[in-house]
Amino acid sequence: MNIPLEKMEAGRAESHEAVMGLVDRMRKGDREALMAIIRLYQKKVFLLAYSYFRNSEDAMDIVQETFLRLYQKAGQFQKGRNFQNWLLQIAKNLCIDTHRKHHKRSGDLRRVKSLEDLNSPLGESDDCQDASDIRHIFAECLKRLSEKQRMVFTMKHYNDLEYREIAMILKISTGTAKSLHFKAVQNLRALMTPHLEGKS
Amino acid sequence: MKDCKRHRRELVAFLYGELTDERKKELESHLDSCLSCREELAALVRVVKSADSLRADIEGAMAAVDWDLLPETVASAVLEKDVQPTREAGRRSFFEWILRPRLKPVLAGLLAGFALGSLMTFWLMRIPGPRPDSKESFHVSRGFLDRVELEMARRDTLDYLEKSQYVLLDLVQKPGRKAMDAWQRSLASQKARALLMKKKYINPQLNKFRLAKAKEICDQIELLFFELIRLSDDLSEKDLLSIRNLIEERQLLLKINLLKKELEESEV
Repeated sequence: MNIPLEKMEAGRAESHEAVMGLVDRMRKGDREALMAIIRLYQKKVFLLAYSYFRNSEDAMDIVQETFLRLYQKAGQFQKGRNFQNWLLQIAKNLCIDTHRKHHKRSGDLRRVKSLEDLNSPLGESDDCQDASDIRHIFAECLKRLSEKQRMVFTMKHYNDLEYREIAMILKISTGTAKSLHFKAVQNLRALMTPHLEGKS
Repeated sequence: MKDCKRHRRELVAFLYGELTDERKKELESHLDSCLSCREELAALVRVVKSADSLRADIEGAMAAVDWDLLPETVASAVLEKDVQPTREAGRRSFFEWILRPRLKPVLAGLLAGFALGSLMTFWLMRIPGPRPDSKESFHVSRGFLDRVELEMARRDTLDYLEKSQYVLLDLVQKPGRKAMDAWQRSLASQKARALLMKKKYINPQLNKFRLAKAKEICDQIELLFFELIRLSDDLSEKDLLSIRNLIEERQLLLKINLLKKELEESEV
């Protein structure tokens, strides 16, 4: 009994049972099932990783590593759980681990310096330059948030995930997810305001 | 002011369209009348717009990926890397799991606890004698200890006197030749030596407690034994006779008897 892969791969509402069937087949070493799972979730994992790192290379590494982990740990998946949340949890952990490794290597200095550089007055810059600056400034401010706040903001704003889903992925309560998002926005406002006022 | 505080908490939810219609209307009517909340909202809108500015980047990056080819590439990489699946990965992941950053405070706590425990054990073990707060320890008054020591001194003295008495009686009562033989067969002299040793032991006790009378007699016995042992190798019948005379003259046996009775009566 084969699962209608074409339908699922199109990214339409895939049932829990269908995904479980794919996971079972993948566990037995079925390459097609693995590819079907990758097709279903690759964009979501990439989006999460890219909005976290803002770097395609790192995001691609995370995508590959996430599906490798999934393949290795498929036996640990509990059937009652939400598969997508579990997969994104793996991706989130890998993002944090990779970020910590990079952070250790490059140190804080570079990051702080880059924000200071952007802080300098840009009187004669044109509109396009301004937009690019705001993007850079925002990206730097986002990096300055705590790990959890950054993760929650990214998932909420760019991945369009519900608080309930974010809570499951981060293993926190829905209330905590809401509160972390609120604090993230407040902190971004505090960090961004001097730059935005300078530009206006 | 209190209203502003409450409404400001809802501004983020308002921006993300998460408020119920009722709360939304309430907030909107507040915003119409409150300039500072309107300014706050405008600042938050600017932040969210800045966040949206990153979307272009994200969309660009998404567009640059070949999503049809990626599953093929990733699956190949996954299956290629996963040649040794379970064991080694499991073992490695256990160490990774135990050393992961989230567990570091726990590990540090365990290490600190172990170090503290070791120090405490070392500290307790190196103190000699009973442990502080040990349930087996007991406390007695100084007076009780004195009484115990006095009783022990009394018994030791009594024992000493009794044994001395036997040795002296042997000397006095047996006919001269027999007494000398017994002495020279070193049976009695050994006893005398043992008694001299015992005397050494009870000396401090006799000094400490008020057993002056006992001490005097014990000293005399000691002196006598000392002389006897000194002469033991060439003890002549004459010497023996003079010793017997000495014992009788000083009424040593009688004194010993009296003293014994006195000590027995003064039982603690």
